[in-house]
Amino acid sequence: MNNIFKFSFGILTTLAFAWLAFVVGANLQYGDLSPEAENLEDDDSREPDAELFPKDMPGLAKQGAEEYLALGCVSCHTQQVRLFTTKDSEGKSIVEGGMDVERGWGKRASMARDYVLQDHVMLGNTRIGPDLANFGMTEKDNDWLHRHLFEPQSLVPDSICPPSPFLYEVSDDPRDGSIAIPSHEDHGDERQKSRYVVPSIRANRIVAYLKALKQDYELPELPFVQAKEEKSDTNATETKGIPDWIRYPVPSSALEDLSSQMSAGKEVYTKIGPGGGGCVTCHQPTGLGLPIAFPPLAGSDWVKGDKERLIKISLFGLTGEIEVNGVKFNGAMPAPGIPLGSLTDQQIADVLTFVRNSWGNSASAVSPSEVSEVRASIKDRAPTQMWTAAELTSHSKPAQ
Amino acid sequence: MKDTAEQVIDRSAKTVVSFFVASAGLWLLAAALLAYVAAAKLTDPFFLSSCEFLTYGKVKVAQANAFVYGWGGNSIFAATLWILARLSQVEVRGRVMLLFSGVLWNLAISFGLLGILDGHMNAHEMLEMPTVVWPVLFISYAIIAFLALVIHRSRKHNDTIAPQWFILASLIWFPALFLIAWNGLEINPARGTLPSVLSLWFGQSLIWLWLTPMALGAAYYIIPTILGRAIDKYYLAIFGFWCIAALAPWSVVHHLEGGPVPMWIPAIGTVMSIAMIFPIAVASTNFHATAFKDIDKVWNNLPLRFVIFGTISYTLSSYIGVIFSLPDVAKLTQFSIINEFHFNQRVYGFFSMIIFGVVYHMLPHITGKEISKGAKSFHFWTSAFGVLILLLAYLIGGLTHGVLAQQPSLDWSSSVISSVQPYFKITKYAFIILGFSQLVFVINVWKVIFPNPFACCLASSSERKGKTA
Repeated sequence: MNNIFKFSFGILTTLAFAWLAFVVGANLQYGDLSPEAENLEDDDSREPDAELFPKDMPGLAKQGAEEYLALGCVSCHTQQVRLFTTKDSEGKSIVEGGMDVERGWGKRASMARDYVLQDHVMLGNTRIGPDLANFGMTEKDNDWLHRHLFEPQSLVPDSICPPSPFLYEVSDDPRDGSIAIPSHEDHGDERQKSRYVVPSIRANRIVAYLKALKQDYELPELPFVQAKEEKSDTNATETKGIPDWIRYPVPSSALEDLSSQMSAGKEVYTKIGPGGGGCVTCHQPTGLGLPIAFPPLAGSDWVKGDKERLIKISLFGLTGEIEVNGVKFNGAMPAPGIPLGSLTDQQIADVLTFVRNSWGNSASAVSPSEVSEVRASIKDRAPTQMWTAAELTSHSKPAQ
Repeated sequence: MKDTAEQVIDRSAKTVVSFFVASAGLWLLAAALLAYVAAAKLTDPFFLSSCEFLTYGKVKVAQANAFVYGWGGNSIFAATLWILARLSQVEVRGRVMLLFSGVLWNLAISFGLLGILDGHMNAHEMLEMPTVVWPVLFISYAIIAFLALVIHRSRKHNDTIAPQWFILASLIWFPALFLIAWNGLEINPARGTLPSVLSLWFGQSLIWLWLTPMALGAAYYIIPTILGRAIDKYYLAIFGFWCIAALAPWSVVHHLEGGPVPMWIPAIGTVMSIAMIFPIAVASTNFHATAFKDIDKVWNNLPLRFVIFGTISYTLSSYIGVIFSLPDVAKLTQFSIINEFHFNQRVYGFFSMIIFGVVYHMLPHITGKEISKGAKSFHFWTSAFGVLILLLAYLIGGLTHGVLAQQPSLDWSSSVISSVQPYFKITKYAFIILGFSQLVFVINVWKVIFPNPFACCLASSSERKGKTA
């Protein structure tokens, strides 16, 4: 202890052991990880033309990672999905703590291999905001992301994520390429009128980065979490704001169904002409409707709430006074479809799934069988008899 | 009258130690301001939101760096130089070099923090300052550490005692950690998540192997010096020291539980964290068995009161740290604001409180001026109260945050984060209290270091008052 050189040698040796393990050891174990096929053959070789994962991010997304880092997003957002497994008596691993997956933050735990191509790995250590490791899987469109980046409170009223107005050019009137920001009343006067923003290149980079964040492939070391066998009744546990498909680990086929429903639904929503719904003419591409005349679908409890009510409106239309997001509207909506009321069960299911999961909405998907059930239950109703809001509110169960 | 040997040493240390203490105080205030801004931004997202330099993420990171490198670094230099000089019974030499390196160190941190606010942050925990300032930090530190080692090497007595081990270890560990991190993160960077493991290890080790041994060494020095009695069960100290040296570098990685890293890393961290109860028990026995024999004196002597607050805080925080490293608890609280609890508990409740005590004990010796007891007492009570509120808010808020985050059925912002909101508000007020407390500390310190400007200011202001009256 008295000789400073021996003393230094001693205390540096203890440090060196830890360094050998955490730096040298871990590097030897993991350092040569590289992209791999989703499944390997029995002898650990991969098929010659197998697609390799993870994939490299597009250049714009890589620039976005720099912006994400510079703004300090990592202080509140982690990028790692955890999954705790235990072995049961037969040695099969069972998931015991999959809350990240159940929350919809991923389909499996994040693995070291997922990060090998990233220049800046930002795992983070505090979740004041949600985990973003799989943010690109949430099907949010660019406009939603820009709105959220510009002012999170315009989409999620309770969010404490700070707005980033410095990434946008703001104006009162719509312009070429501008995005409408929904007004909201809680946060000061200037936010009650509608505003339009044009994203800067930096905002576009960040959006590209967020959309590129996805671990949506299986790895040989870890497949997706399989659906639990006793999958509970979705209605009983349905929760505001989290779509079922993402809350419950589902096989990837169900995920494909959803994305095909979303794209088919978008077509029905926007197509004006035979086979389309023409919804876009009144409710607008933004889902915000038009002030006074047509109610918004974005953020509406009528859209996100009870499915039966929504299906009924889609079958017969709606007339009279209705309150949406605290604003009263008085107009009429004919049964969608051209000619009127001509949409099939599948089309209605698709378009309803689309509106329930766009513009910041996220609610469970609607299936064609649900539509046909409702159609059967009201088959005696005269085809021209539109619903009124009062009728729907009293007949159906309260919105969940 | 001839000066005593102590007075000669104190005079040799005066300029240098005053410089480091004064700059440490300014960094403390800067960190307090940043801490308030960060806390205010959590309670009101629109607070300063249009200013790109002050996003929450940047301010949070800048605050931690200002606190650890600015306040921690400068105060470590001051305490190290003085305690080593006193224990070695030699004068502080190379004062110009020390001052020069001190200026470099502070400039490097200033540029580093501006770099962070300007958007040039690194993704490495506690090394977020832009890479260009790292060499300056390292060189200035190396010069100061070298000159401190020179003091130690020319000591009058060959035998060393506990405060010297801890302080020297802290002095040597920091550059070693820094070089390891520098090599693994920038010179030969590994791919994927490995740099994250390394930077987490560095960030946590910085607290465990730089701040902690320094504060423990200072406590081992101050307690017997002021009480005038030997450390109780002193023979345990060497065991405690080597336990920390052997276990602490391993124990810090349990934060990675369940993360995308080799599984043995968090597992080893957990085992070693639990083993840390031994060194904690040793330090706790040494300090408290000694202090509680003379509890009246501890209570009446403010520097000692600060130090004992710090050692009690160390014991408590370390045991709480052990509990939170157990896998079942870690899963629950891993990503919650409990991390803030651990950071503030160690860096404020433990390290800073001990350093406050050291500074209050040291300054009257080197400047020959007393700090008024009322001012010190005010500082103690506001600090103790503020840090208690802060830690309770982070602890209860962290548990709430962690438990609610495990319920997938609860909506994230409207249920989970809304439930934590009240605790963010409390921390905001706690940071205001602590800010005042730190302002009092800085005024106390600056008043004895630079008595003249203050004296003439006070005189002229009282003259003006007299005239207006």
